[in-house]
Amino acid sequence: MDAKRNMAKAPEPREGGTRQMEGMELESVIECARGHDAEALGEIYRRYVRRVFGLCRYMLNSRESAEDATSEVFLKMQRSIDTYDRSTPFLRWLLRVAGNQCIDALRRQQRGRRAIVEAEDGAAVIEVPSSETSPLGAVISKEERADLRDATARLPENYRVPLVLRYYSELSYEEIAQQLDVERNNVATLIFRGKQELRRRLRDRSK
Amino acid sequence: MECYSEQTCALAVDGELAADETQRLRDHLTSCQRCRALVDALRAENRALSESLNELPEEAASPARFSPQHSSWGWGDLAILAVVLTLGSIISGWFNELDIPAAVEWFNPFSVSGRTNLTFQLFYYFVHGGTAMLADYAAVVGWICLLLLLGGSALLLGRRGRPHYPGLRLLIVLLALSLPSFALERRHGEFVTVTANEVVDDTLVATANMVRVDGVVNGDLLTFGRTVEVRGTVKGDLISFAQRTEVSGTVEGHIYTFARTLDLEGQLGHSIYGAVQSLHINDRGRVGDGIVVAVGEASLEGEVKRSVNIVTGGSVDVSGAIGRDLTMIGRSLVLTNTARIGGNLSARVRQLKEVQIADGATIGGKRDIQVRVRESSFTRPRFYFHQAVWFAGAILVGWLGMLFYPGFFQATTQLVGSGWRSLGLGVGVLAGVPLAMVVIAITLVGLPLSLMVLALYLAAIYLAKIWVGAFLGRTLLKPSEATKGDWLLGLLVGLLILTLLAFIPYLGGLVRLGVVCLGLGAFAGQLYRASQPAT
Repeated sequence: MDAKRNMAKAPEPREGGTRQMEGMELESVIECARGHDAEALGEIYRRYVRRVFGLCRYMLNSRESAEDATSEVFLKMQRSIDTYDRSTPFLRWLLRVAGNQCIDALRRQQRGRRAIVEAEDGAAVIEVPSSETSPLGAVISKEERADLRDATARLPENYRVPLVLRYYSELSYEEIAQQLDVERNNVATLIFRGKQELRRRLRDRSK
Repeated sequence: MECYSEQTCALAVDGELAADETQRLRDHLTSCQRCRALVDALRAENRALSESLNELPEEAASPARFSPQHSSWGWGDLAILAVVLTLGSIISGWFNELDIPAAVEWFNPFSVSGRTNLTFQLFYYFVHGGTAMLADYAAVVGWICLLLLLGGSALLLGRRGRPHYPGLRLLIVLLALSLPSFALERRHGEFVTVTANEVVDDTLVATANMVRVDGVVNGDLLTFGRTVEVRGTVKGDLISFAQRTEVSGTVEGHIYTFARTLDLEGQLGHSIYGAVQSLHINDRGRVGDGIVVAVGEASLEGEVKRSVNIVTGGSVDVSGAIGRDLTMIGRSLVLTNTARIGGNLSARVRQLKEVQIADGATIGGKRDIQVRVRESSFTRPRFYFHQAVWFAGAILVGWLGMLFYPGFFQATTQLVGSGWRSLGLGVGVLAGVPLAMVVIAITLVGLPLSLMVLALYLAAIYLAKIWVGAFLGRTLLKPSEATKGDWLLGLLVGLLILTLLAFIPYLGGLVRLGVVCLGLGAFAGQLYRASQPAT
């Protein structure tokens, strides 16, 4: 409910303003947004809402929670854009905020249960035996890409979340580890296993 | 040299291998065909994964605001809707034949307490005399739902796709809400108790003087009664229509309440929504999300994780912690020394002295306290602007109605002239429709129908002033030949007079009530006439 209302409060791009902002360099838009310029904030929303929503949609199980999370992300962005220090690309920073938001949401959904289960073998064991399934093919068709996306979205949460953070948000293992509050080695294992699980599922499907 | 493991190669491809390791791997790749192939394949896999994820699925391509066409309604959905509507009308017809106790004497639609009274009295009727009827009815509903389930499944199975369809959702909601025979457990009597070692696996519907849950309810708990006490655990939502609701155990979902008092001493996983006379969250109470309520008075001593929004006729006392914002509209606000608000405080009160914030109270965000001065509404330009907008809206609605349904509009206007008859009918409709809505809604399967009736009811109340205004205008102007222009002029004059009359202190309220009753009566009368075959 809160988030729904907040969504209404999120900066609405205004017609005239958007047109002015449209061609502007991201740098200057961010600069204006730092001064809490509503049009600039609206422009950032317009440019990145799809990317952010995409991440939330992959990470959370329902469209509604993804919409709520998206609006929360942009509210947070408004509040914390001052802390953005340009050391990372803006989109990456924003996706990091979004990732955090989603992980919080997942934790809340599970009421205290740890959202991301650590790999059972513990963090120390990084080498896991190679799978028999081979990596997915180089060139895949549009249908296959859709299958792959679908299969990713259906992975269990502890595989899905690190995979999405790595290959959609393009975060490093270290950053993912920080977000999920697990060891970096664990992230490596989860991603590796996640991919194996994906291969297995896709192979089963094509059978 | 020994080959590298697949995971090491994967790390290297992800750019996550230490620099010296990467170099060694590179050296190895120059001589090892097998590892080179593996690294290439892993690289291609990563690319495929990135590409496929970045091609957002259609459904995720944009959030709701950017895709106004949320979902399309197919024939199947329409068919299901039609079934639901038919079902609703059968049920409402069936209810019409029942002997429902006269409601008028305890019903004054313009007072909140009148409404709650009505609601409570009605539940009492069910508790004391109506349970047998409710049970019979529930059995009927169970059968109908079974039919719905079969019919709906047949319809939906015929369509390929995942369960994204509103029809299926509607069906699921209906089933979840209305399957007394197999998804709900019903209990009624003087006392309904879920004992400490008992576990109810379904949603529990309890109708009793006193409902007490010491054990565990795994579904939702829907209660109608004088007192509801939750000392154990409700895993789903608590929906309570009771005079007193007390939660000292745990409710993991939300609380929806229409009660005289709600006391929370235990844990609530999500939010509180509803209208209560008195809301009390004591120092052991904890709300996992927020609170959105209309209350007589509220006292928050415990912890609320997110925002609190309160509309109140009385006072709000806060001595506990609110994680985010506190927004209140009401008479008075007291924040004690122990009060803590994480976000903004926003209060609308009548007098500034009614806001007392102790020095020890902490407010994380901004303080925004505004005084609503009721007397000055006539001096504010915004007031006139609002009135003008309302007025123009009413004229527009009247004009559109006149354009599209001229016959019906004129006939209804004339019917206002039948005076006492319309007034009497109007009083009946005004009082009877909410009663019927509650009766339909209480059966759960009728909930959608009830909401539709509510929408129609509110629309009819809005339209009432248009009929009366038009009639008044015509009576005063007495146009020799009623053209559409005359009709519009009449409406304008009539509405203007009614609007002005409504501002007279004390008398204004009476005028409004009279106008609503007259208009509603005329509307109902004309609807009845129009539904009769022409003679």
